[in-house]
Amino acid sequence: MKTLQNNKKYIISLIISIAIALLIGAILMAVSGFSPIEGYGAMIDGAIGSPRLLGNTIEKSMELCLLGLATAIGAKGGLFNVGGEGQLFVGALFSTMIGLWLSDLPTFLVIIIAVIVSIVTGGIYALIPALLKTKLNVDEVITTIMLNTVAIKVCTYFVNGPWNSPLKSISQGTDYIDKSIVFSKIIQGSNLSTSFFIGTVVTVFMWFLMKKTTVGLEINVTGENKRFSFFSGLKANKLMVTSMIISGAICGLVGMMLIYGYQGHMTQSASNEYYFDGMLVAMIMNYNPIGIIIMSFFFGFMATGATMMDMQVGISVQLYDVIFSIIIFLMAAQTGIMVWLENRKTQKKAKQLAEEKAKGLVEETAGKEAE
Amino acid sequence: MENKETIIEFKNISMQFPGVLANDNVSFDIKKGEVFALVGENGAGKSTLMNILYGINTPTSGEVIIGGKKVEKYSPSEAISRGIGMVHQHFMLVPSFTVAQNICLSHEPRKSKIFYDLKGAEAATEKLVQEYGLVVDPKAKVESISVGLQQRVEILKTLYRGADVLILDEPTAVLTPQETEELFNVIRRIVKEKDMTVIIITHKLYEVMAISDRVGVMRQGKLVGVNETKDVNEKILASMMVGREVLLDEIERFGEPGETKIEVEDLVVTDNRGIIACNGINLKVREGEILGIAAIEGNGQSELLEAITGMRKPVSGTIFLNNHDTTDMDPGQIRELGLSHIPEDRMTTGVSLQSDITTNLVIGKERTPHFSKWGIALKKSTIHRYAEDLFQRFDMRGAGVDTVVGSLSGGNMQKVVVARELSFDAPILIVAQPTRGVDVGAMEFIHKCIVDKRNDGGAVLLVSADLDEVFRLSDRIITIYEGKVTGEFKAGEISKMDISYYMTGDRSNEEGGTN
Amino acid sequence: MSWDQIAQIINFTLRNATPVILAALGGLLTEHAGIMNIGMEGMMLSGCFFAVAFSYICASSGAGVIAAILVGIILGLFFALFVVKLKADEFIIGMTLNTFAGGLTAFLLRSVFGKTGSWASTDIIQLPKFDIPLLSSIPYLGKVFENISVFVAVSWILIVIVWIFLYKTPYGFWMRASGEHPEALETAGISPIKMKFIASVACGILCGIAGAHLSLGYVNNFAEGMSASRGFIAFACVVFGMSNPPKVYVAALMFGFLQAISLNLQEYIASDLTAAIPYLVTIIMLIYVTVSAANRKKRREKQSLKEQSGASEAPVSA
Repeated sequence: MKTLQNNKKYIISLIISIAIALLIGAILMAVSGFSPIEGYGAMIDGAIGSPRLLGNTIEKSMELCLLGLATAIGAKGGLFNVGGEGQLFVGALFSTMIGLWLSDLPTFLVIIIAVIVSIVTGGIYALIPALLKTKLNVDEVITTIMLNTVAIKVCTYFVNGPWNSPLKSISQGTDYIDKSIVFSKIIQGSNLSTSFFIGTVVTVFMWFLMKKTTVGLEINVTGENKRFSFFSGLKANKLMVTSMIISGAICGLVGMMLIYGYQGHMTQSASNEYYFDGMLVAMIMNYNPIGIIIMSFFFGFMATGATMMDMQVGISVQLYDVIFSIIIFLMAAQTGIMVWLENRKTQKKAKQLAEEKAKGLVEETAGKEAE
Repeated sequence: MENKETIIEFKNISMQFPGVLANDNVSFDIKKGEVFALVGENGAGKSTLMNILYGINTPTSGEVIIGGKKVEKYSPSEAISRGIGMVHQHFMLVPSFTVAQNICLSHEPRKSKIFYDLKGAEAATEKLVQEYGLVVDPKAKVESISVGLQQRVEILKTLYRGADVLILDEPTAVLTPQETEELFNVIRRIVKEKDMTVIIITHKLYEVMAISDRVGVMRQGKLVGVNETKDVNEKILASMMVGREVLLDEIERFGEPGETKIEVEDLVVTDNRGIIACNGINLKVREGEILGIAAIEGNGQSELLEAITGMRKPVSGTIFLNNHDTTDMDPGQIRELGLSHIPEDRMTTGVSLQSDITTNLVIGKERTPHFSKWGIALKKSTIHRYAEDLFQRFDMRGAGVDTVVGSLSGGNMQKVVVARELSFDAPILIVAQPTRGVDVGAMEFIHKCIVDKRNDGGAVLLVSADLDEVFRLSDRIITIYEGKVTGEFKAGEISKMDISYYMTGDRSNEEGGTN
Repeated sequence: MSWDQIAQIINFTLRNATPVILAALGGLLTEHAGIMNIGMEGMMLSGCFFAVAFSYICASSGAGVIAAILVGIILGLFFALFVVKLKADEFIIGMTLNTFAGGLTAFLLRSVFGKTGSWASTDIIQLPKFDIPLLSSIPYLGKVFENISVFVAVSWILIVIVWIFLYKTPYGFWMRASGEHPEALETAGISPIKMKFIASVACGILCGIAGAHLSLGYVNNFAEGMSASRGFIAFACVVFGMSNPPKVYVAALMFGFLQAISLNLQEYIASDLTAAIPYLVTIIMLIYVTVSAANRKKRREKQSLKEQSGASEAPVSA
């Protein structure tokens, strides 16, 4: 009952936060000389205005959802994986190279190997900070942030250096992978490809893992109180490392899906801080898998719409980041604000009650003295 | 003594915390130059009231009058300027600062207005040390000195700020009897020589009788009464505190114990700072017996239990549980051999605060075929039913099994821990502080659980800071002092008074008459 | 390698270390006050943008610096309001602040100045540069101290000031107490919340200055995300400098040096690879600091164990 009530409160605060953020967004538009109605209109139109745009929205939502779930599983296990961006790059780079190197193999085999390689490389790249944390107690937040930059720089080196395409028509990045191994499109001209089915499978798997399995339960408990986990006889360190590997594996897989889904070849801008958007979605929803799935669609919608808003009305696409972060600020402070409001209410009530009581008692004793 | 002037007056003080009415219309006064004892059970509202006097809490209603003037703004700096000093139960000392730096915090002597005169602070401390005879090294870092000395620093701190009313919150909880006696001497001296007023919060009634002039009793936020200490005795105070005669059922002793289940040999364990906590401990616990450990907190009993349960690696020695050498095993392996453990600190070790009751009850068993398919897919409805059943049987109160454990009261939270640990049906039970911060009803229930375990043939090792609890439950008692076993007694063989003698020193040499 | 080259490397080291040490000084203040500030990156980036914007608008680098400081104050207050007052998670607020700053600066760059990606203009006034008297006349190494941007010198003064503040004034003691044992400070009559706010605002100011130095010190341009993880590196410097100003500066210098030599190594190694080195070294240093601290603790334990067992055995044998 209590959790239901809390959920309801949470959803109400979420709606209020979104409303405030959109309002601030509107003010920013107005101040910089655009009509908010036109701006948001373009955003909506840009997200669902045509089948192609709708496809892009769904694809973007899927990315956010998978990356959000990746953050969530790490966080549930007690490790903040800030390094998903790097894991994504590593997964994208190696799966691309698999596609180029093994182009002689049958199509489905190449894809399977590419999926596996992206999962493994992403997982290994997440394993490093996880081991540093559990074995040596080195803070994972800093190491994952640093490993992001390292991965991006090294990948940039490879795609513009030794693995750069010799073709003149490709100024930056590797060769394109063969058309036959690119996921076919669900909606023509959009970014939405059959990789969506992989995304769906992973999403369902993650939901099942986190909510319905013993391992999910154990990861949850470990992240919440490691000492309790150890005390209860669980392999706390192993669970933490596992959750981080899963997190990295998903990021690596998303990297592969970006390339095989619509980008076609590896470049230094394969991802533009996509992971951080997913991470923030997960944070807003308190790492709840169902919440992440739903919220991803909202932000996927906004992100795709913002791109079109930029192109058609000329409002900078980064307004989306601003609105997005305002929602998170408000949600992060939500508990604090709620507690403060509630406290004030009970204090007021208690004061009234106590004062009445005190008065009553004063009269009582006065009466006694009179007797 | 009767016609002393009033220095502090509480008028209809009420304090509402979220969910708790900590003080309920409390009124009384304190006279200049007296030692006033404030007693009551845990959670009776004593500390809250004193925190109001010290300005940490602002009362929801009512007023405090100090020296005839009403307090308008509640803040520690206001209280300090009115001459109130407080020594908190958990010391308010910055560990990395020196004694002098702690004493002078917020009232630092200065050079050229903005610089800290560190030499001056040491000199001022030295002067106080001389004046009050409370010896402590001003240059020592607080983290490196003993608890007794830290308390001394706290007292000096209030004196340095010019306090004439000193509040002591549970000052003896962490002290040895000798240190307690020293503290009482200090209190007597400052009251007599410096005409100070002392308010002492405690729940140890013999201390009330020993030190105070007047005593106020609190229960569930209300003031039950204020009396001259000479007009009351411990029994009267106890019944005022609890609200009824304190008569716990006598616990039946049980037949002969069976084979040895816990055996500890020459165990050496270090604490978090790397200092030896257990220094060669030997003990045995057999089936169907409760072995109680009587020791003042911080003498190695916590580390001993942590070593036995696998939470802490011992330096040397061996541990046998259920006939297996478990010295180097982790808690998971040890639990599989048949051990359950009610830990000393339920908040940090015993529960997952943000998980619901169900999760906290099932953890450790979730991979058994009863609760999951192939050890992977949870059988949610079975687990739910199981939790409901334990919830009923252990008489937990609260919204239901979906309630987050962090929102439960101390007693209910402890019941969650006890229910889970006993449901393992392990032959060995390790229990630490089973009823700390638990109401009387829950306490009786938990005691019954522990005794039932023993009656079912379990081997129980019990540690408690509450000597009454140790005496009530144990079939056999050992005393530990500074990491060593200093005595062993059968139930009924020794009195509480006499056993404290063994809890405060190694008496083996004295008995032998050597040296 | 010639003297000139060495002098140039040192000069570049100082130049690159400066924004990091400025931000790190702020970070170590909040660290002492018990707040983990992961939002320095965003604070710095905002400083970069507003310094450039106001330097351009007012045609004065001083105005740019003042704007950066004001923005720093606002962000510091904002951060403290959420983290200290509303008790929101410091990590979430910090990370989000970074996203927010990235989005807002890019948005404003576009909507106010009509530029996308980056913006350089000769109308953006650079900060003054000067040769340090005496030092710059030293033979061979004098070059190190030539053409120094003003905040390089300011950062040296600030290191001393912060150190004196923390360890030689009562206020520094209060700030440290507010992080180490806030209740102790509160019961002494000083609000730890106030000290935390002050630390956060000071951090905002220092990050703002760091940003101004970055965009106006040796260049006169702004680019989206131009703080390039320096806020995070500053955070790492605080960690392995153990929040002690001189030690943190050494860490920042090491970062500056790595960047400086990577420029020199460009002929031999691709710039993308050398650019990764500072971040890799940060990780390695962090591991080193953490492990050596753990080892020190272990050694101490062993030592005390030896002493104790010696002491406890003595009476037995006697």
